[in-house]
Amino acid sequence: MSEDAAISKKVKKAAQLLLYQHHRLPGSKGWEIKKILGKDYMKVIKLLERKFDDLGLEIKIVYSDGIERISPTEEDLEQARFYVLSKVPMQSSEVSLSGWRIDTLAVLAAALALITSKQGKATRREAEELLQEKLPDWKVDQDLNRFIRKGYLDEDEAGLLFIGWRTRAEIDLKKLMGIIAGSLPEEKAES
Amino acid sequence: MVKLQSDWVKRRATGLFIDPFLVEVKIKVMPKDSLASALLASWHPIVAGEQLTEGRLSRALDYWNALIPLSQRMSELDAARQEQEKTLSVSELIKLKFLSDKVFQQEISNLLSELKEKSEGGPIDYWQFITVDTYEATVMRSYALSFLISNGYANLIVNPIEETIKVEALPVQEQKSSGGRSVPIAVSYSKWKEMRGS
Repeated sequence: MSEDAAISKKVKKAAQLLLYQHHRLPGSKGWEIKKILGKDYMKVIKLLERKFDDLGLEIKIVYSDGIERISPTEEDLEQARFYVLSKVPMQSSEVSLSGWRIDTLAVLAAALALITSKQGKATRREAEELLQEKLPDWKVDQDLNRFIRKGYLDEDEAGLLFIGWRTRAEIDLKKLMGIIAGSLPEEKAES
Repeated sequence: MVKLQSDWVKRRATGLFIDPFLVEVKIKVMPKDSLASALLASWHPIVAGEQLTEGRLSRALDYWNALIPLSQRMSELDAARQEQEKTLSVSELIKLKFLSDKVFQQEISNLLSELKEKSEGGPIDYWQFITVDTYEATVMRSYALSFLISNGYANLIVNPIEETIKVEALPVQEQKSSGGRSVPIAVSYSKWKEMRGS
């Protein structure tokens, strides 16, 4: 097999690993990809990323502690989870595709902003009190439980809410906080 | 402390630090539509698919072929299911020939005499009174004693603070015709062994 053919085969395998869900969570861990593609797996990921770019997709690496890195170490990458995301954010006209109503999305936005502003954790009670100013308590309770189930939020036994794994993968919290705090205009955010 | 400081610095450095009070105010004044739009503008959904492989399908088929019909599995489950615990009355025990009415009355009478004798100087320890050489006989004594207590011939004194249970025979004039109180006490095998000191 020529070198080009071998690389092409690895790129296809990497696409399968990242796109097809083979665990409870989508995506793959760095060490899983390394085990299958070999130690140069990051080169293959870069090649795949170029192909995904044409399709409006990107590969996002979420590190185990949720903090972004400019120069990750080998270990950081092995412990990180690799996801394929839509490169372009969803548009308002596509809301129906998410299957959620506008007020459900508003609950998620407010909950994430509150938790992020409080250094990554807030009590469920204070989140509920804030949300209940605009929405009935049954709706707030239902939506918070839904987001916990889906992985956007996480809750511990003491009733503390945290940022969930799915939020770390899908939501650009810096941008969300910028829009909510008013430092980023909505029009710019929508573009 | 160092870790907390490090987290704090990292958080500020990532640009996520915004005054919580400001965020709360903003959330309160922003219309629902604007909050939803802010989320949509920051949302890059995960792209993931589910797949069925030939190998997985083949294993699923094997599983299906080996699966015993539900009716058969249910009967096996029923057989394995344990009978639920239930309380038997004296009359039921007599009916089951576990007890003879005459023998039981004699047992009760003997136990009452023994209790009267032992508690002459005041209430005595419940466990010391019922515990005898065998576990079966101990259970029988506790059962007979509960009969005496619930029929008002004996009195049970439970001290929840000191965790002691004492028992005494009641003099005829203090016996209650309407019967005494009911206190559940588990006479377990481990407790019997502990009392026997083995």
